[in-house]
Amino acid sequence: MLLPSFEYARPESVEEAVALLASERNARVLAGGQTLLNALKLRLAKPDLLVDVSRLEELRRIEVGADGALEIGAAVVYDELATSPLLHEHHPVTARMCAGLVDRQVRARGTIGGNVCLGDPTSNFPPLLAALGAELLVRAPDGERRLPAEGFHLAPYMNRLEPGELLTAVRLPALAAGEGVGYETLQVGTDSWALARACALVERNGTIRSARVVLGCGAVPVRQPAMEAALVGAEPSEDAIAAAAELAGEDFEVAGDVHASAEYRTEMAKLMAARAVAAAAGVS
Amino acid sequence: MAAEPQGTEPETLRQIEVTVNGQRERALVPVRQLLVHFLRDTLGLRGTHIGCDSGNCGACTVICDGKAIKSCMQLAVQADGREVRTVESLSGPGEPPNELQATFTRHHALQCGYCTPGFLMSATALIESGAELDRESIRRGLKGNICRCTGYVNIVHAVEEAAGVESPEGAAGEGEGR
Amino acid sequence: MSTPTKTEPAHITTWERPETNRPAVGESVPRKEDRRLLKGEGMFTDDLWMNRMGHVHFVRSPHAHALIRDVDVSRAAALEGVYATLTGEEVKQLTDRYPQIAPEPGGRIKDYCLAVDKVRYAGEPVAAVLAETRELARDAAGLVEVDYEPLTPVVDTLAAARDDAPVLHTEVGSNVGWHGSYDFGDIEWALENADHVVRIPHLHFHRFSSTPLECNAALVNWESGTETIQILSNNQMPQFAALFIAPALGVRSDQLIFKSQDIGGAFGLKLTSYTNITAIALLSRKANRPAKWTEYRSEHLVGSCHGNERTFVDTEVPVMADGTILGFKTSAYDDVGAFMRYEPLGGVIFSQVLPGCYRFQHLQVDYRTVLSNKTPVGPNRGYSRLQHLWLVERIVDVVASQLGLDPVEVRKRNYIRADQFPYETPNGCLYDSGDYHGALDRALELVDYEGWRRRQREAEGSGVRIGIGIGSTLDSGTSNFGQARIINKDLPYSGNGEAAICKLDLGGEVSVALGTVPQGQGHETTTAQVVGDVLGLPPDDVWVQPGADSARNAYVAFSGTYASQFAVTGIGAALGAARLLRDDLLAVAAVVLEAHGEELLLHGGTVSVEGDEDRALTFAEIANLVYANNAALPPELADQVTLNHRYVYRPPFGVPDWRTKTGHLTLTYASQFHVCVLAIEEATGKTEVLDYAIVDECGTPINPQIVEGQVHGAAAHGIAAVLQETLEYDERGQLLNGTFWDYHVISCPDTPMFKTDNLPMPSPFTPTGSKGMGEGGGGPLHAVCSALQDALGPDVVVADSHNPTERVWRMLARGEGGGRAEVTSREAGER
Repeated sequence: MLLPSFEYARPESVEEAVALLASERNARVLAGGQTLLNALKLRLAKPDLLVDVSRLEELRRIEVGADGALEIGAAVVYDELATSPLLHEHHPVTARMCAGLVDRQVRARGTIGGNVCLGDPTSNFPPLLAALGAELLVRAPDGERRLPAEGFHLAPYMNRLEPGELLTAVRLPALAAGEGVGYETLQVGTDSWALARACALVERNGTIRSARVVLGCGAVPVRQPAMEAALVGAEPSEDAIAAAAELAGEDFEVAGDVHASAEYRTEMAKLMAARAVAAAAGVS
Repeated sequence: MAAEPQGTEPETLRQIEVTVNGQRERALVPVRQLLVHFLRDTLGLRGTHIGCDSGNCGACTVICDGKAIKSCMQLAVQADGREVRTVESLSGPGEPPNELQATFTRHHALQCGYCTPGFLMSATALIESGAELDRESIRRGLKGNICRCTGYVNIVHAVEEAAGVESPEGAAGEGEGR
Repeated sequence: MSTPTKTEPAHITTWERPETNRPAVGESVPRKEDRRLLKGEGMFTDDLWMNRMGHVHFVRSPHAHALIRDVDVSRAAALEGVYATLTGEEVKQLTDRYPQIAPEPGGRIKDYCLAVDKVRYAGEPVAAVLAETRELARDAAGLVEVDYEPLTPVVDTLAAARDDAPVLHTEVGSNVGWHGSYDFGDIEWALENADHVVRIPHLHFHRFSSTPLECNAALVNWESGTETIQILSNNQMPQFAALFIAPALGVRSDQLIFKSQDIGGAFGLKLTSYTNITAIALLSRKANRPAKWTEYRSEHLVGSCHGNERTFVDTEVPVMADGTILGFKTSAYDDVGAFMRYEPLGGVIFSQVLPGCYRFQHLQVDYRTVLSNKTPVGPNRGYSRLQHLWLVERIVDVVASQLGLDPVEVRKRNYIRADQFPYETPNGCLYDSGDYHGALDRALELVDYEGWRRRQREAEGSGVRIGIGIGSTLDSGTSNFGQARIINKDLPYSGNGEAAICKLDLGGEVSVALGTVPQGQGHETTTAQVVGDVLGLPPDDVWVQPGADSARNAYVAFSGTYASQFAVTGIGAALGAARLLRDDLLAVAAVVLEAHGEELLLHGGTVSVEGDEDRALTFAEIANLVYANNAALPPELADQVTLNHRYVYRPPFGVPDWRTKTGHLTLTYASQFHVCVLAIEEATGKTEVLDYAIVDECGTPINPQIVEGQVHGAAAHGIAAVLQETLEYDERGQLLNGTFWDYHVISCPDTPMFKTDNLPMPSPFTPTGSKGMGEGGGGPLHAVCSALQDALGPDVVVADSHNPTERVWRMLARGEGGGRAEVTSREAGER
C-alpha cells in the first residue's frame, strides 16, 4: 500500500495542465484519485508525473448554455452532482445515479472526468453519456476539440484521448419534450459492484418515436440498433419492450470472471435494457 | 513485474501546510506519501487506521473540509491548504467522550475498535451534513465503512441515537426479546 | 437488544457504571476497552515503533506449484539502506522444520517459514528483505530474482485426493494428509431398514475468510544482550506459536516474549502467523535490529490463511415414514491448501458436533484432509464444526424438501429434547444444556413465521419468490485437546486450561492479568464484572491489564482467545484467582478485626464486620500489612497470605479414546437458531433478506450486550459468506479474489438488522454456568440455504454454501447450478 515514485505538479490553469501532460510521455491526470491512487498502491500503474487538476476552477463549474445544454466541468465531484439543482432540474436521472455511487467518501472526491476517462467496464458514466448523446470537451496543446461520448472508449481503460489532452467538460444536451432517461443496474449489493447495466434515452409521443439504448459492463459501452429499431413506432408497453429486448446483446463483448459468467451477464444486460427503456418511457 | 528500485534516488519532496485538528502543520512531505501515512507516521496521530490496499474498507476515513474522505486515497500533498479532522479531534486524552462516542459505548457499537475511528468520522460528517436522516439513509450512508466484528446493527443504533432519529423499534426498548 | 440505556443522559461519562449494589455479572456494563478505542488511543501492532528498526517485505511466489532453482538477492542486498535479506536456503540451514500434528505419512511434511526447494501455493513467501523504510523494502523486494521451474498445480479437491494427482509433498506420497473414519451405531442396518433413503451425491462448503480488518503484523527484536526474542505481534495464540517457533529456531520457549495490546479482530486467522514471526526473527538476528512487518490486505488474502473448504460425497440418509432421521453416511474431503498447520485437527474437531442438534444414532463420516495448491487454511470462525453443521442442516432440510415434510416439524421431531440434557452423543460427547424446541419456537415467533408463510403464498406469481429458512447450529466451546490423539495417538496433549493472576497492588488496588489474547471480545470488562462481584467491588475498580504479555506469567500452553472458550476458561481462571485473593483478604481481616470469617463482608474496597461497620479494614490497609508491614502480623498468617494468586482453571476432562474415537471432546454447547426470510427476484436471482431472527443460548450471560454483539458479528460473517464472499481459484492456482475489489466484504446496508433473543440455560459444567459462544456456528449459511431451498422446491437441491446472484438465478431459471437428490422408498418396492 505504498506508492512507486513519481513527480507531482499542481498547475494553476488548464493551459498549464495541458502543457505538463504533453511534456511527459508517462503523465497522468490526478483528479479525485479514487481509482488512480489504488492502481498506484497495487503497482498496476507507474506514471512518471501526476498532474493534479482537482482545484482548477475552470473544471469545476456546472452551467446551462443558451441551448439548454448542461456543461459539467470534468473535475466536478459526484456529491456536487448529486445535489446540484441544475442537474436535478435538467437531468434528474443522472443526479440520482450520482447519489448512489460507491459511498459518501468516494463521492466527496471522485469526479465525472475520472469516471469517464477510466473506462472500466463498470464505470457508471460512459454508458449513460453514450445514451444521452453527450459530448466531451477536450483541450489539447493546439486547441480544443469535441468528441461524442459514444465511441469514446476503444477498449477497457483505453479511450480516444491523445497524449497531452485533457478532458475539460462533459456536455449533456437538453432533454426535449417527451424524452425520458433510464439507468438500470444489477449490483452485488447496495451501491456496489455492477454485474450488468443499461441506459436508455426514449422519446415518446404516444408511441415511441426514438430510442437510444446502450449496454454497459461490457468491454466498452455499446449501442443496440436492432433493439432501438424494434422500439420505434411501438406502443410503450412491457410486452413490446420485452420483445425488443430480445434483440439486445449486439456487439456486446463481455468476459466471464469469478463474479459472473459471460452468459449471465449478457442475459442480465438484456433485462437491464428492457428496464431502462421502460423507465425512460415511463412504463411501470 | 519487478519495479525498478527507487531506493537510490532521492525522494521528491513538497512543502505543505495543513490544518489538522485545529492545529496548523507545516511539513516537507514525499509527494508519494498518502495522507493516511502523513497523519499516522509524520504527525503521530495513530487513531486513523489502515485496513486494506484498495480503498474499500473506510478504516482510514477522516473529515477534510467538512466531508468524510478516505485518507488512503489522497496524497498528503493534496491536503495542502485544507482542514483535516481525525478521531483525535472528537475528545482529547483524559476527557469525557463526545456525544457520538458516548452512544457507541451505550449501544456496544465497537468490539475490536479497529474500524471505529473511521466510523466515528463518517458518522460525524453524516450528522454534520444536516441531511434528513432515517434508518435507511444512515445504513446507506455508512456503506463506505466496513466492520467485521459488530455486524453493524449496534453501530446503526448508536448513530440513530446520536442523530436524534427515532428507532423503528420504538423508544421503550430496542428490538424484541432483550 | 440493548438493555435499558435510554434513560441515561447524553453527557455522562459512559465508561463508568453508575453506582449500584447489584452484582455486575448479568448486566450490560459499559466496556472499559471503549475508553481508549473510541479515542483512537488503541495500540495496534502497526502503531508500534522501536529505535533502529527496519521494515520487512516478503517476496512471494507467483506460481501455485514450482521448483525453486535459484534465489538471487544480490541486487536487493546491494541497495543502500537494505539491512538484510533471507532466503529459503538459509532458513533450511538455520531452522528445523515445524512440528507436524499429523501422524505418518502426513507428519513427514517439511514446513519452514519460507519456501524451501519448492513453492506450493501462489503467494507463498520465498524470500524476505529488511530495509530502512517500508518503501525501500518493497522496492528492494522487487529486485529479488527467483528462478522457478513450474509444475502442474492441482486445485480441485477431489482431483487432488486421487492417486494420479500432482503431489505437493513427495515425502507424504499423496495429497491425503490424514484419513480417518468415524462410525457409530450401524448405518448399513439403518439404510437397509429405513422407510426412505435420501441420497445426495454432492454437497460443497466453500472457501472464504473472516478477513479481520487489521491484517497480520509483528515487530520482532532478537535482543542479543539478553538473548531474548521480543515478539510484539497480533498473533492470537502466542503459546501455540511458541510450540512451533521455539523448536524451529532451536531456542528455549522462555526466550520468546510475546506482547500485544489491541488486536483488530482475528477470528482464528491470526494463529498460524508463527511462520511469518519466525522469518522476521531471523532477519532481526541477522541485522541485529528490530524488524517490523505489516501485512498488506492483498498480501493477507493470498498469503495468510483461509477457511476450510469441504466437499461431501455420496451422502445417504435413512428416514422413517414419520420423519425420524436415523442418521447419515458421508465421505468428507477437507481441502486445507498447501500445508497442514493447525490441521488435521479439523478432522476430529467436527466430531464435537457429529449429530448436530439431532438425536441421530447411526453416523458414518469417512474423512480425508486433502492438500492442494492453494493458500493454507487456518481455523476460521466456526472452524470445522461450521462445515459439518452445514452438512447436517442441509441433510435435514433436503430430507424435508424431498419428502414433502414440514421443515419445522422435521427439525422438532429430530431435535434433542430439552429433558434429555446433559445429552451424550454416539461418540461420547456431552451436550451440557439446551432447549432447541423452545429456541426455535421463539425464533419463529420473532419473525412472525405464520405471517411470512401467508405473504409467501400471496407473492406467488409476482416475479419475486419468498423463501423462509431455518438454521440450527451449535457453538461447541472449551475443547479437550486430547481429541488431538484421535488424529495422532502419539500427540501428548489433553485437557485444556487457562491461567489468570489476581492480586492486590501496593495501594490495595485490585488488578488481574489474563492469559487470553482478546481481539474485541471485551475480556477486560467481563473479567472485571466477575472479579468485582467476588471482591465486592464495582467493575470500575478492578483493573484488568489490557492485552496480553507473556511476562505477566499468566499463561499455559492453551492460552489465547479462540474456539469460543473465554467465558469458561478465562473467566474460570479469573474467578479462581479472585477467590484465592478473597480468602487472603478474609484471613487477614479475621485476625486483625478479631472476627469469624462468616461475619465478614466485602464491600466497596473494605472488609468489615457485618452489623458493625466501624470494625473494618480497607484493602489498602491489608496491602500495607502484607507488603510493607508483615512483622505486625502473626507469623502463621504472614506465611500463608500473599495477596497475589495465579490460578489455572482446568475443565474436568479425561483423555478421549483414540481407538474408538469417542470421548468428552468439548465442555459446553451453546446453540443458535436462525430463521431467515428471503426475497428472490426470479428474473435476476438477486436475493434480499426481508427478515432475520436469531435466538441464542449460551448459558449464563455475563454481559448480555457483549453476548449479543458476538451473535450479530457471527451472523454478519455468515450472511456475507453465503451471499457474496468467496475465495476462488483458476485452474492455474491463481486466487481470483485477491483484493477487496474482488472479495466482496458485506457492508452495512446489506447486513440485516437482526432480531435477537437469548435463552439462558446455565451449563452444569462451568464455574459460572456460562458457555463460550463467540464463533456462532455459521447459522446464516444454514438458514439462507434453507430459505433458498424453500423457494426452489424439491427439483433443485441447494448443494453449495455459496449462493451469489448468478447461482440463484441458474437454480431458479434453469434448474442448473444446484445439486440433486434421489429418494428411494421401501413402500415403492424400489430397494
